[in-house]
Amino acid sequence: MPDRKADSAASGAVAIKGKKECFGCCSRKAPRERPWGGLEAGKAGSIGLSLFLAFLLMAAFSPLLAPFDPWLRFEPYLEPSWNHLLGTNDMGHDILSELIYGSRVSLSVGFGAALMATIIGTAVGLFSGYFKGTLDEILMGATDIFLMIPQIPLIIVLAAYLRPSFWLVAILMGALWWTSTARVVRSKALQIREMGYVRAKRSLGFSHLNIILSDILPNISHVLMPKFMLSIASAMIAEASISFLGLGDATMKSWGMMINFAFSRGGFINGYWWWYLFPGLFITLFVLSVVLIGFVLEENDEANLRLE
Amino acid sequence: MSLAGKKAIRYILALFLIASLNFAIPRLLPGDPLTNLLGEDVILTEGSAQELRLKMGLDQPWSYQYLEYWRSLMRLDLGYSFHLHRPVSGLISDRMKWTLLLAVPPLITGSILGTILGALAGWRRSCRSQKVQTALFLAIYCTPPYLLSLIVLYLFAFQLGLFPMKGFYSTGSIQDIVHHLFLPALMMTLFTLSRNYMIMRGSVLQEKSSLYAAFARAKGLYDKEILFRHVFRNALLPIITLLALDFGFILSGALFIEIVFSMNGMGSLIYDALLSRDYPVLQGSFLIITIMVVSANLLADLLYSRLDPRVRWQ
Repeated sequence: MPDRKADSAASGAVAIKGKKECFGCCSRKAPRERPWGGLEAGKAGSIGLSLFLAFLLMAAFSPLLAPFDPWLRFEPYLEPSWNHLLGTNDMGHDILSELIYGSRVSLSVGFGAALMATIIGTAVGLFSGYFKGTLDEILMGATDIFLMIPQIPLIIVLAAYLRPSFWLVAILMGALWWTSTARVVRSKALQIREMGYVRAKRSLGFSHLNIILSDILPNISHVLMPKFMLSIASAMIAEASISFLGLGDATMKSWGMMINFAFSRGGFINGYWWWYLFPGLFITLFVLSVVLIGFVLEENDEANLRLE
Repeated sequence: MSLAGKKAIRYILALFLIASLNFAIPRLLPGDPLTNLLGEDVILTEGSAQELRLKMGLDQPWSYQYLEYWRSLMRLDLGYSFHLHRPVSGLISDRMKWTLLLAVPPLITGSILGTILGALAGWRRSCRSQKVQTALFLAIYCTPPYLLSLIVLYLFAFQLGLFPMKGFYSTGSIQDIVHHLFLPALMMTLFTLSRNYMIMRGSVLQEKSSLYAAFARAKGLYDKEILFRHVFRNALLPIITLLALDFGFILSGALFIEIVFSMNGMGSLIYDALLSRDYPVLQGSFLIITIMVVSANLLADLLYSRLDPRVRWQ
């Protein structure tokens, strides 16, 4: 594939030239390299996006979509059949309905944690990148320390004492997951603060807060989106793991809680595979959708940067 | 201040904070500190409770308790599990070797395989077999490790009967241990492999379009040479730091895999402690895991400064 090679060599040259001449204000964009290799970028992204939308719709319209009330009791341990598409559990609850209603709980925890992590990470990153100096040292030191704390064991210890509601789990995760966002935002903010328009605004006497909010924040929003998506993914996996240990909120049927019940109430030993397989499949598919979107956004962004 | 000094301060602060957190949790959170320190299922008469309160210094001011706490940590005394009737440090050192046996060999093979396969995948992105491979590892990457273990355990041990259903025991011969360890170790390998694969693939994709790679190509080097002699080395650098940061996550993954396979390592210890609310064991395990993660980070930092001549500690 000789022309492909020539292409990417050329784009490398553009990158260097661009870096010298362009101060972030140029609108010229070279034809950009597709991150997943031509069609695949579109394919991976659209698979992710459609899965993601499907899950969102499922959470939004649970009462319409679910065939039964998730607390309604039928005969227990029914195999998947036409009446109960995914079977029933030990209490006789319909698993499909449980899954559809559970999407509300699982998605809220994921979104809540990711939102909080992104907000904290952005604030820390912006301040430490913009002000530099001592504040930067302190905030980045704190970030390094938080990065080293083993998050899941810490949540396990705290949850063992607190017997948490699922909001508390989301808050705990949000409070621990902000570090990588903070690092990325900081490095972006360090670059942007030296740009001409920021300097101009500073010399005109605008306040720091104004510059941060109206000039720097909008220019880092493109790195926030993929980070947000990937935080949802890790929050979902962590929630599923914590629930699996029985530390979740027992009154809320999240997907992780369903697996926990299946494991601890003998669904596994007795071979009732539908009881834990389907919630697991839902977790994996949702995480996959979010990760696909995150990766495609991230690679798009990197491809843009190379050519800017 | 030199870079080394700054790093050292961060490591010490991290350990200090975690240890202090461990001190604060049972005393600050709601409930009787004595119950919080001993565990929920310990039933004491009024008299012996009072006696223990005095013995553990719970009637003393916090500053005194805090100093006492550090003193006992220095003696490697992590408390006493009333549930299992053993000191926590002994319990953990007994169990930790099995967890390390499960976690470390797969960690090494998973990292090596993951970086090599990931590098090839990033290099030959548009090749069909690479795409299938990437999709496969992406799916594993997105599955909680315990779930994959549950499914594999169901298929290979429960349905096909090829492997034992339950844990492994220290009395067995080496053959026996390998037989018991095979499935969980395979799960661990896949789990670390998929994480390294995704990271390395992204890293090579980035490095691939840099100028030195284009130059190497212009010199007429073979594809494989460019990848392994030039691109691979540069792409590997960020991986080392990421690996160390990932160590905590991978260790937690090992804990969950142990629970699924009912192996007598740290994971089952923590799980049983959770079920019986045996707080001293939980706290001790958390502290030891933190120390291991922090040391892994330290190791990565040292390694990094050796591998990358641009990073030198004064």
